[in-house]
Amino acid sequence: MTDPTPERDAERFLRIARMAERGRLTVYLGAAPGVGKTYRMLQDAARRQAEGMDVVVGVAETHGRCETAALLQPLEELPRRMIDHAGHQLEEFDIDAALARRPDLILVDELAHSNAPGSRHPKRWQDVAELIVAGINVATTINIQHIESLNDVVAGFTHVRVRETVPDNILEHAELILVDLPPEALIERLQAGKVYLPDTAGRALANFFTPLKLAALREMALRFAAHSVDRRLSDDLETSGETGNFVAGERLIVAVSSGKGGARVVRHAKRLSDLLHAPWTAVVIESASARAVRGSQREQLADNLALAASLGASLMTVAADDISAALVDQARQLRASQIVIGKSRRTRWFEWRHGSVAQSVIRKANGAAVHVVPLDEADDKPEKPKEPFTIRANSIAVLLVAVTVGILQLVRPWIALGAIDLVLLLPVIVSATRLGLRAGLWAAMAAALSYNFFFTEPYHTLFIHSPAEVVTFAVLAVVAIVIGGLAGKVRRQAKTSVGVARLNASLARFAGLMGGLSGRDETARVACREIGGLLDVEAIIVALEDDAIVVRGNDKYGRIDAIDEAAVRWAIENGVATGRDTGTLNAADWQFHPLKTSLGTMGALGLARPSQERVIRPDDAVMLASLVDQTALAHERIVLEGQARQVDALRERDRLRGALLGSIAHDLRTPLTAVIAATEAIPVQGDYAEELRIARSESRRLQRFLNDLLEASRIEHGTIEPKWESVDMTDIVTSVLRDLRQDGPGARVATRIDSDCPFAFTDPLLLRHVLINLVDNALKFSSSGSPVDVEIDCSGDQVKCRILDRGPGLPDETEALFERFHRLEGGDRVGGSGLGLWIAKNFVEAVGGAITAGNREGGGAAFTIALPVASAKEKDGGPSDA
Amino acid sequence: MHRDVLIIDDEPAIRRLLMGALDRVGLSHVEAASAGEALRLAAGPQRPAVALLDLGLPDRDGLEIVPQLAALGVTIIVLTARDATEEKVAALDLGADDFVTKPFDSAELLARVRSALRRKSGALVDPHRRDFEGGSIDRAKHSVVIDGTPVPLTPREFELLWALSEKPGRVMTHTSLLETVWGAAHRDDLDYLRVAIRSLRKKVETDASRPKLVMNEPGIGYRLASLGDQSD
Repeated sequence: MTDPTPERDAERFLRIARMAERGRLTVYLGAAPGVGKTYRMLQDAARRQAEGMDVVVGVAETHGRCETAALLQPLEELPRRMIDHAGHQLEEFDIDAALARRPDLILVDELAHSNAPGSRHPKRWQDVAELIVAGINVATTINIQHIESLNDVVAGFTHVRVRETVPDNILEHAELILVDLPPEALIERLQAGKVYLPDTAGRALANFFTPLKLAALREMALRFAAHSVDRRLSDDLETSGETGNFVAGERLIVAVSSGKGGARVVRHAKRLSDLLHAPWTAVVIESASARAVRGSQREQLADNLALAASLGASLMTVAADDISAALVDQARQLRASQIVIGKSRRTRWFEWRHGSVAQSVIRKANGAAVHVVPLDEADDKPEKPKEPFTIRANSIAVLLVAVTVGILQLVRPWIALGAIDLVLLLPVIVSATRLGLRAGLWAAMAAALSYNFFFTEPYHTLFIHSPAEVVTFAVLAVVAIVIGGLAGKVRRQAKTSVGVARLNASLARFAGLMGGLSGRDETARVACREIGGLLDVEAIIVALEDDAIVVRGNDKYGRIDAIDEAAVRWAIENGVATGRDTGTLNAADWQFHPLKTSLGTMGALGLARPSQERVIRPDDAVMLASLVDQTALAHERIVLEGQARQVDALRERDRLRGALLGSIAHDLRTPLTAVIAATEAIPVQGDYAEELRIARSESRRLQRFLNDLLEASRIEHGTIEPKWESVDMTDIVTSVLRDLRQDGPGARVATRIDSDCPFAFTDPLLLRHVLINLVDNALKFSSSGSPVDVEIDCSGDQVKCRILDRGPGLPDETEALFERFHRLEGGDRVGGSGLGLWIAKNFVEAVGGAITAGNREGGGAAFTIALPVASAKEKDGGPSDA
Repeated sequence: MHRDVLIIDDEPAIRRLLMGALDRVGLSHVEAASAGEALRLAAGPQRPAVALLDLGLPDRDGLEIVPQLAALGVTIIVLTARDATEEKVAALDLGADDFVTKPFDSAELLARVRSALRRKSGALVDPHRRDFEGGSIDRAKHSVVIDGTPVPLTPREFELLWALSEKPGRVMTHTSLLETVWGAAHRDDLDYLRVAIRSLRKKVETDASRPKLVMNEPGIGYRLASLGDQSD
């Protein structure tokens, strides 16, 4: 579940960052009405207030109970909003008042409540979600049967289906407080009249209150709460970056069908994914026959998919004829370990004829566990695709037979009887192919009867004379059935492929158009024009720029209403479709789809239709998804192209700077060579000896600067390419001392070299450069006359080189020494480019070593370079020497 | 008229500096600002003994004229930038004797020039005997004497010292030493050379950890200290 990829990490931190700004949700969960959730919530709220928290009651249902009402007394209550609906005054929670008031904690009772029509959100849980996004802490209550994924489990044993459900994901990061009451106690309370039941559902709800059902509900509530604690634990682990053993690597795929049973399968999959901590994908396999289904069933399918999305599934549509093969194939592609499918209880005869998808999936699933959810037949009865133009087609079929018989009568004298039944096959085949199975059967019947009537003895009777005629009849019928079936299938496939081809062509054209554009305005305009044309809607593209709404792409709509603005913000912030025909802010005129890209959400696509019908017809949902993706991609590409141009400009500037540095360094070198040679040619004596000494040391310093700059630019451009060879440290040290004029009389550097030390494996020139810098520094930093020691020895598989001085030593923070432009505090000794140690560190690391700095015992600095030992291959200097 | 040194550099300032330095120690010289001019002078009546060659020339790559100058019997000292290791190795393999890194120190440069002139003039009296700083090697007798004391060497060490002592002060690249002593098949077996040099130093140096005789040029090769250039 947690791949330790950088993307996942980034995603995790973004999520945590977003969570940190959000309000916290505390949910008081009960198994049934009457367990005392509101009471408990109010008690806790009173305590919080006593602790100094700013607590406000948004809405709390006392149901006329005085203990509960008494608890309300000390708390501030927000006034309710009055809403006129069909002549009734309805009181609703006032979300705007709550947002304006901004308390630390607000109590909003009954999370599953449906708001009166005309409210901002149709559901109260959406109000709560908005409060949380706004950073306000919320406490609320819910009963277990209102949780979406458990809805049909509860309905299964209580036979009461509640319509008001809350999607699971809103509870995902909530703190759940289980308000528990043993069933017996609850029944006692009910009998004492202490439990309020709404009048309308009173009798039905009373069904809940049997000890058995209450026990089951209580167990469910306990399990749900325990599972939630589990998940919060794993969230915490994720936050802290630890990855525990809970990572199961499970992934779940569920096949969504169009029937009502599809919703049950989806909920089952959600519960399973929760238990397994597994991400899940809902797949629709669109077979040819499924494509032919119409109207209400497609809407049902769209609803089932929307349910899956609201429960946290990712969605996917695949066009394929073999449902089981396509499903198993998708499972393999997604590396799903669990496959969930529904299976209707059907007769054996039906299964024998049509085959069972479930059976076939189980057979094909390679290693994946298959979960089969049993469905009632009523849940999942596939509507048979209707044969095209039946009555007219049947008449045409019979007419065809009649015409054939007529012709046969005319040519009768020239044809043998054996050929007649063959000729009569013709209208049957034509009807079955062109007009469908049913028409084919009609033709077969007509042909058989005509054959019997006109062409067999006794003529003009329907008397069956010989068994051969029965066979003829049967042959005609079988031919009609076989050909009709085949032709029907071919026709449906052709229709599907035409549909798919048209869809693909439209999408390809759209993608082609989008790919050629290079400005946000232009992209928006073309996208809106094309999407509008393809889906027969009005389209706009809305972006948030510096928190202001910018509408693009359609000159007719320069501005949108406040509620549409709210919907845009919601769509962008939450990454879900919002507005008209959706679950959120559906009073808006527009439906907004977020344009999600790898760079974040780039805005939203707004769609509207002047008439009252749905903005997006169910048949267009798949195409819309692709169009939204393409539009998002086009926006992403434009932003990336902009960034790439910037990067190109920067890179070009960098290249120029590097070239400039190189040429400056080269041009400076030549005159500097002359200056150094000239000043060193003059003997240091006479009146200007001191000036000459200064000129010499300063020109040497300038040279060091120049070298440092060149080396630094080599490091920055990554052009250091070490030449590896085995190196005798004696050679390097000798060469360094020669360069620093420390190899003759009066040398201040003392060496201690273990001459049996193995060779180091490194680049001799880079290493020499480092040592020259370090030894030169040590000479400069230590008080005049005090020695500098260079020690070479080896330990294990490392050659160590130490440069030790008796200077003022180093500050404690030795790490900082190796940073660029770091200079040691130390009065007149400061004078380097500040690059020396940084270069040393980079060089040493480039040659496979490590450099450390510290203080020497008895005062002074100590630098240690550790290098790898060359592999001991030939130690004796060749064969004849041995 | 014979001249000691041919200065080949396109920078007039450097040429003037080099001339001044040579003048002060009494060495005669002639100057060239291009490869063509240098070749003409080297082949001309002045017959310079040593060439100070800057490889960055306006008309041709300095490396190209190294073999031609060497064929004319000129001892070549290359003037190069500090980090141009490959250039140095190439020049040495093409026949140059030595190199001096810019920015140079005139004292060191003059020492190298003098050493080169000595190599040039030192006529080989005995083809089997070569002298070097503090000792000599005799191929006929297969003997090495350091500070008057005979030092026993293995055949490989002897061959190595013999190769180095052909022209003391001249830098021999790693590859050329390996080819001469071990054969062309071992031209990349740097470890052989390192091991042999270490054991040779233990026998011929007074302090093997501070060599004075067998000197290394990191990344390039070895040279034997030339006569008279100890401890400048």
